[in-house]
Amino acid sequence: MSDFLEEYPIERNDIGNAGTIASLTKRELKKRGFNPDFIKRVTIGVYEAEINVVIHSYGGFTKVHISDDFCEIKFVDRGPGIPNIEDAMQAGFSTASPYAIENGFGAGMGLPNIKAVSDEMTLESTEEGTTLSMKYYKNQ
Amino acid sequence: MTTKDIANYESFSLINSVTDLSHKINKLFASDLLSNVMGNTAEDDCLITMLNNINVIGVASLNDLSCVIFSQGIVVKKELIDKANELNIPLFTTKFSTVEAIIALSKWDKK
Repeated sequence: MSDFLEEYPIERNDIGNAGTIASLTKRELKKRGFNPDFIKRVTIGVYEAEINVVIHSYGGFTKVHISDDFCEIKFVDRGPGIPNIEDAMQAGFSTASPYAIENGFGAGMGLPNIKAVSDEMTLESTEEGTTLSMKYYKNQ
Repeated sequence: MTTKDIANYESFSLINSVTDLSHKINKLFASDLLSNVMGNTAEDDCLITMLNNINVIGVASLNDLSCVIFSQGIVVKKELIDKANELNIPLFTTKFSTVEAIIALSKWDKK
């Protein structure tokens, strides 16, 4: 099957649509016959990253690449950046707004969850923006 | 236990128009934090929450949960009910607190 390559915009504070990219990615993985555990790992990672862009950034986009034996997803936003990545990777550390917390987000589990479910994760951040890449291999 | 058993329990009310209540319930899971729900539930789990937010339905759909129970008698927003109808996810309310709901359903399941 040919590779699936899609790019989706993500709007700041668009909580009503948060999870849409995770849902579309999950649907595509199911269609391609990936096993349920693989699909669950990818769905969790995409959902958490998508929420992070919605609640923490000025907006951005996602690129989803699904191949026969791996899935790679990149999230790019327009800032304001993560001041301290080490802090942000700690379970329970959160800088979420009251708005995000009221909506059930901001547990401080987003990045640790992504790290736990993905096979590779890279995170780069400046005030101009943050890029998060995650990769999942079918056989791991 | 199935979603039909919950519908038949007098302290729990089905609040949307899902007609298929044959879903088996794998386990009960209670949380008001969506990352927690996302990372720790599995297919056919039943979520008990007080979070009255459209993303609850999104997470329930993503993780293929069997149903959602809103505790403490909260009045669930119409947008959640409409979305759950669209996705065929049964929604229940109960006057029980989250802990009371877990205890009641656990006892019911052992009958």
